[in-house]
Amino acid sequence: MSAEAMERSERLRIMNYDTPAESDWETGLHPMDDLLRGERLPHIWCQGCGLGTALTSFISSLKWLEKNQGWDLDKVAVVSGIGCTGRIAGYLRLDSFHTTHGRAIPFATGLKIANPELKVIVISGDGDIAGIGGNHLIHAARRNLGITVICVNNFNYGMTGGQVGPTTPHEARAVTAQYGNYEFPFNLPYLAAASGASFVARWTVLHARQLDWTLRKALIHSGFSFVEIIAPCSTAYARWNPEGKGLDPENLRRRGLEVMKHYQKVGKTEQGIHPKDAHVKVNSSGEVIEIVEGEFLDETRPDFKEAIDQRATTAEKFWLSEKNALDKRKKLPPKKGKVPRTEIQLGGFGGQGIMSAAKIIGMAASIYNNLEACFTQSYGPEARGGAAGSQVVISSTPIHHPHLTQPTSMIMMSQGAYEKYVADLSPGGVLLIDDELVDLPAEHREDIKTFGIPATKIAQDAGNNRAANTAMLGFWTAVEGIVDKEAMQESIAESVPPKTVSINLDVFESGYKRGLDLVKK
Amino acid sequence: MSKEKGRLTGEHFMLGDHACAEGAILAGCRFFAGYPITPATEIAERMSVRLPQVDGKYVQMEDELASMNAILGASWAGVKSMTATSGPGFSLMMENLGLGIMLETPCVLVNVQRGGPSTGLPTLVGQQDMMQAKWGSHGDYEIIALSPGSPQELFDLTIRAFNLSEKYRTPVLVMTDAEVGHMTEKVVIPPPEEIEILNRPQIYKGDVEPDHFRIYRESPDGDPGYVSPMVKAGEGYRIHVTGLTHDERGYPAMNAEANEWNVSRLMEKITANLDDIIELETDKLRNAEVVVVSYGISARTSLWPIEQARKEGIKVGYLRLITVWPFPEDTISKLATKVGAFVVPEINMGQITREVERCAAGNAQVFGVHKPGGDILDPGDVLDTIRKAAAVTQKN
Repeated sequence: MSAEAMERSERLRIMNYDTPAESDWETGLHPMDDLLRGERLPHIWCQGCGLGTALTSFISSLKWLEKNQGWDLDKVAVVSGIGCTGRIAGYLRLDSFHTTHGRAIPFATGLKIANPELKVIVISGDGDIAGIGGNHLIHAARRNLGITVICVNNFNYGMTGGQVGPTTPHEARAVTAQYGNYEFPFNLPYLAAASGASFVARWTVLHARQLDWTLRKALIHSGFSFVEIIAPCSTAYARWNPEGKGLDPENLRRRGLEVMKHYQKVGKTEQGIHPKDAHVKVNSSGEVIEIVEGEFLDETRPDFKEAIDQRATTAEKFWLSEKNALDKRKKLPPKKGKVPRTEIQLGGFGGQGIMSAAKIIGMAASIYNNLEACFTQSYGPEARGGAAGSQVVISSTPIHHPHLTQPTSMIMMSQGAYEKYVADLSPGGVLLIDDELVDLPAEHREDIKTFGIPATKIAQDAGNNRAANTAMLGFWTAVEGIVDKEAMQESIAESVPPKTVSINLDVFESGYKRGLDLVKK
Repeated sequence: MSKEKGRLTGEHFMLGDHACAEGAILAGCRFFAGYPITPATEIAERMSVRLPQVDGKYVQMEDELASMNAILGASWAGVKSMTATSGPGFSLMMENLGLGIMLETPCVLVNVQRGGPSTGLPTLVGQQDMMQAKWGSHGDYEIIALSPGSPQELFDLTIRAFNLSEKYRTPVLVMTDAEVGHMTEKVVIPPPEEIEILNRPQIYKGDVEPDHFRIYRESPDGDPGYVSPMVKAGEGYRIHVTGLTHDERGYPAMNAEANEWNVSRLMEKITANLDDIIELETDKLRNAEVVVVSYGISARTSLWPIEQARKEGIKVGYLRLITVWPFPEDTISKLATKVGAFVVPEINMGQITREVERCAAGNAQVFGVHKPGGDILDPGDVLDTIRKAAAVTQKN
C-alpha cells in the first residue's frame, strides 16, 4: 500500500467507515435490515430503553405501507431534533435529517411545502417537541401541515442525564426535581388537538400492535397527525421514580422492561374520547397509575398545501393587473437640460397621501424623465401626529446622499407639518401650501417664496377629497418646472387606483393652472 | 408551467426591500419563510404577493428560529430559498444559520440592519450587525456577506448571493440596512438572458450507485475548497445529514480529528476561493495618501466628502467592500504599506474599523468615522476625518 493510500485508509478509519466502495449497511442481523443503517449500529440507546420498540413499530408501519399502499420509501424523509429520540433519524435508511434542538418541525415544514410529494415525518422526544420546540408544534398543528409528528415521551430529558421537563408528571422526581416536581405537565394529545392537529393518538410503547395500526393511519392522514408514544427511560427516569423502585440498577434491560410493562398495565384504552380527558394520572408520589390511550381525533380538513394552492388563481389575477399596468407604460423623452441636485420636502398628516405624492414625483423624474431620483420617508415617532414627512431628491447626476441637506422646495398640507419643516427651507426656496389648512403666522419667513392654493377644496369640488395631494402636485409642477408635466401625468395615472385616474388627472390640471397663473403674476 | 410565468423586467421606481424580493425571484428563489420585522417586512410582503405568481411558496412562520429552519428544509427539498429579517430576528437566526453552514445548505439570509442593541431603533438605520454576521453563530466557520448601497444594488447582490450560495453550498448573508431597504429609486430588471444564474452542483436519481454516494465528498483530485455535489430529498440516495460533527457520509463522528476535517472543509471552500468571492469597487487607489474603506450606505454617503476632499487637493482613494466577509485581508495589508492612512466610515462603533486595523498591522493609521445607529453619517464628519488623516499623513 502506498503512503498516500495508507493515509487515506487511516483517515477513513477516523471518519467512521473504511469500505467506501461497497455496501456495508446490511448486517443480516435484523429482519428490517433494509430500513436500518446497519453500519451505524449498535445504537447509542441504553438497554431497556423504549426507543428500539418505537423505532420497530415505525419501520413496520412503513413496510406495511410500502407493501399494501404502494408507498415509495425513497420519497419518505424523516426529521429529528436533538436528544435520545433525535438519534432515530441517524439509524434509519431513509432520507433523514438530524437538525437542531426543537427545530425538526420547521425544518420539516420547509421540506414538505417545497416538495409536497415527500412524506415527511418528524420523530423526536418530548423535550424537543414540547419543550424547546413547543411553539413550532402548535403552529404546525394550527396550519394542519401535512406531516406526521411522532413524539416519544419518556417524561424527562434523558440524554443530558434525567432533568425535569414539560411532560414530567407532577410530584415525579428528576435530577433537577429531587424534591418532587412542582410543575404540571402538558397533556400532549390535548395540546396538539387544541392547536389544530387533525389526527391525534397516544399509545404506550408495549401496545405495539395498536401502535403499528395507528402509525399507518397517521402516516396516510393528509393533514397534521400527532402520535405520542409513552416509553420508559430505563436509566434516568426509572432511577428516580416509583416505577423503577426495587429493580436492580445493574440490570437496565430488566428495569426498562418492567417499567414498559407497568405503563402497558396502567394503560386504559379509550378510543375517540375528547383529548382533554386523555390523562396521564399519577399518585402523590408521582407514580404513573393510569395512561389513557387510543386514537382521540381523526378529522378530514384541507391541509396546508391545499390551503396555499387555493390562492393560485387570485395570485394570477394580481399579477395580470400589475403586468397590464406596466405594459401600458408610455416612453417619454428625457427631461431637457440639466437638473441640479434638488431637494423636496413634503409634509402633512396621515391619510393625505404625502408618501404617494412623493413617490409620484420620484417616479415621474426617474422613470419618465430619466433623471436620478431618490424617495425616502420618515418613520417612527417623528412621523406621528400632525407631521408625516416624505422626501425626494432629484438630480441629473448620481445622488450620493439620500437625505435632504438643504431643501429648496416644500409642499406642506398641514399646520403641524408647516411648523415642523418650514425652518429647514433654504433661503430663496419655494414653499407651497394648502392655504385652507395652513395659517401663516405673522412672523412667517420673508426670505422664501410662498404660494398657496385650496388644494383640498379643489379636490372636494371635483368629487374626491383624497385627491388633494394631486392638486398640490399639479401646483408644484407648474411653479417649479423640475419635472415635465407629461411625466407627472403618466406617473399619477400609473400610481392611483384605476377608477380614480381621470378625477386625479382633472384635479392635477386644476392645480397646474393655478400654479401657472400665480407664476405669471 | 412556463418558466416565464410572472417574470418582471424593465425599469421600476422601486422600494429597496421590494427590489431584494425581485432579485430573489429572478435568481430562482421559490420558497420564502419569514417573520414580520421592521425594516425587513416589505421583503416578506412582496414575496407573499410574488411567489404564488411564479409557482413559489411563501410561509409566514411563528418566529425567526422557524423561518431559518424552514428555508433549510426547503433547500434540501431542492428549492432555492430565502428569509429576511433585522437585528432581533438575526439574533434568533444565528442558531440555525450554524446548522445551514454545518449541513452545507445553500440559502440566502437578508438582514436589513436597524439600530441596536436589543429592540433598539426599529425604523432607523444601523450597520451594527457586521461582526455578528461574521461570528454570530457558535463554532468556527467562514461566511459570505455582501453589502449593497442602493435598491438597484440590493437587487443585483441578492442574485449574486444566491449564485454564491449555490456555488459554494453555504448560506450567504445580504447585509443591507434600513436606509437602503426603505429607499425608493430606479431599479432596472434586465431580461433573463442577460443574467447569470448558478445552480448547486447536484446529483440526481440514477447518477451514482447510492452506496457509493458521499454527501460530503472530498475532492477526487485533492483540490482544497472543493464543493461536494448535493442531493435533494426524495432521490433515492437515502442520505443522512446532521448538525453533529460528521464524516463524508454525513454520519456523526465524535472525535477531534473528525472535527478538524469537518471544520476545515467548511472554511476552505471559502478561503480557497477568495478571488471568486471577494468583490471590491476601487477608485484612485494609485498614489492615494488616504484611502476611504467603507461599505453599503456609508460607502455611498462617503462619495460626496471624497469629492470635496479631492477638490481640496487631498489624494483620496476609495475602496468599497461589496463583499464584506470574507474580508479582503490581502488587499488592505498591501495597501497599508503604500498609503498613509485609512478612513473607515460606518454606522456602528468601529466594527470594520477594527478589521482594517488588524490588516493594516501598524503600517498605516486607521481613522474610524463612527456613530451608533439612528441616522446615516454626516458627510461633514467624514470630510473632517479625511482632512485629519491627510494632515497626519503629510506630517509623516
